[in-house]
Amino acid sequence: MIKLGNICYVRLGTRDLESATRFATDILGLELSEWSKRARHFKSDMREHTLCYFDGDPGIQIAGFEVASKDDLTSAAGELERLGHHVHIGTREEADARMVREFLGFNDPTGNPIELAWRPAIGGNRYHGTRDAGITGFSHVGLCSTDVVRDEAFWTQVCNTRVSDRIGDAALLRIDEVHHSIALFPTSRAGIQHINHQVESGDDIMRSLHLLHERRINITFGPGRHPSSSAKFLYFEGPDRMVFEYSSGVRLIADELLYRERQFLFDPKGFCQWGAKPQIKEFE
Amino acid sequence: MIAIEQLRYVRLGTNDPVAAADFAKRILGLEQIDVDDDQVLFRSDYRDFTLAFVKDTSRAQSVGFELRDVETLERAADALGRHGYDTSPGSTEAVARRKVKCLLAFKDESGVLIELVVRPLHSGWRYFPARDAGVTGLEAVALRSPCIARSEALWTTVLDGKVSDWIGDATFIRFDSAHHRLALHPAPTGGVLAVEFGVEGIDQLMQSSYFLQENQVRIVHGPGRRPTSGQMFLTFAGPDGVLFSYVAEGQPIVEEQHRPRQFRRQPRSFCAWGSRSEIPEFKCDDSADAIQGKRS
Repeated sequence: MIKLGNICYVRLGTRDLESATRFATDILGLELSEWSKRARHFKSDMREHTLCYFDGDPGIQIAGFEVASKDDLTSAAGELERLGHHVHIGTREEADARMVREFLGFNDPTGNPIELAWRPAIGGNRYHGTRDAGITGFSHVGLCSTDVVRDEAFWTQVCNTRVSDRIGDAALLRIDEVHHSIALFPTSRAGIQHINHQVESGDDIMRSLHLLHERRINITFGPGRHPSSSAKFLYFEGPDRMVFEYSSGVRLIADELLYRERQFLFDPKGFCQWGAKPQIKEFE
Repeated sequence: MIAIEQLRYVRLGTNDPVAAADFAKRILGLEQIDVDDDQVLFRSDYRDFTLAFVKDTSRAQSVGFELRDVETLERAADALGRHGYDTSPGSTEAVARRKVKCLLAFKDESGVLIELVVRPLHSGWRYFPARDAGVTGLEAVALRSPCIARSEALWTTVLDGKVSDWIGDATFIRFDSAHHRLALHPAPTGGVLAVEFGVEGIDQLMQSSYFLQENQVRIVHGPGRRPTSGQMFLTFAGPDGVLFSYVAEGQPIVEEQHRPRQFRRQPRSFCAWGSRSEIPEFKCDDSADAIQGKRS
């Protein structure tokens, strides 16, 4: 079993680093933690970086998960190879670019590039955003899935995630007590479906709503509240049409023994209990 | 000073009580309890009614406040008379229509008829609306006033209201621990600006926001949060140019700790989330707007 720790970063290729940087700082509210000609690293919490835009194909969208030990990394490599996944062991230079000690990369069954990272860097300075978006940290990703049954089996049987709820066949998967760190959405492509940052309160979500409106950002879903995780949310579009989400008040599942996953309708009502209608392909 | 027990009801004159009643039931989510040729009454809580639509081509409006007893009502008649207000006791018919024991009416600066009532009817039956809007009760009323200083004096020196806050000259007046039950907004002409109903929480407020959009009700302000009272709000257009709001949460006033605060007249003082208002009475001059633009 591959023991995933926290989700620790997302890496996104872009052809326009400057616009992406402006979006990440001025709109999303992240803090630029490292600037280089070919990559920008952004901070959202105590971690040294949780989002990186690099000069490259916007189709390259990588999600990184922390592993606790070198042994976990080695045994994960063995397990993945045994299952027929090609495993790339990161070079020193690649590890430096990710601010981690060591990492490996592989593709999940849909073809989403996933990385397992050992010792990702924590910053000495706390996050201080470019604008007061109230962000408390990078929290989860939605992943595209071309076969949700197969992919759910991969993430829950090969890896250590548990199903918290399902919306239709879309599985919300937890790694720790947070309701979900990965959400699998049925679609026809590979890639990251959305990137979530937690904010302090519903007030932060509503303040961002009006700010995004004024900045002419395409708001694709919300404000609303998920009946599954009970989080208040707002989805909007960033560079290269990547969907970003703010949410607040995600449910914590403290009692593993008592908790049972629930089946929600794949319908706007299954996604929002306030009545918002999604304009996101994978939610429609 | 005359002690106000509570804000009790709002009566709105309308040309079309049928359309107004449809709005109150289907959109606002109140319970219709009585209807006859002249008026329709609506319940929002344990009080018999808190909103009435009255057939009246002149669209007269009145707001009812409860006084404790008949003696207080008599003292009120005296005090108001001394301050130059013309009071008139309610006729038997007027008293019956309002389901109260005694009634004293006078016009304040807003041109709205203020009705001081004793022993208004309470209902032992739970409020049960057709639409689950989560309404918890009549919360506040906002009036337009062409003479705000005199309005404030009436409510705080003749009657025992206290100023909680000001935004520019707009004055928020409380009679109990709620931040305000009466808001006075400077305007060229008087009248009822908005009637506010409390809802259980943010879920109900936001559900209504989508419900109103789907039903093509014009939302004029919000969803937002008031920096003054801390209330979340959603304000929308009702019949005959009267606005209605849902409000939720909000910090109660701790009497010993509160001092009225002066807020600058600018959009951010009306909404801490940055929602824009279409309400003319909340319009701020361009300079305040420009400052806000620079800051955000």
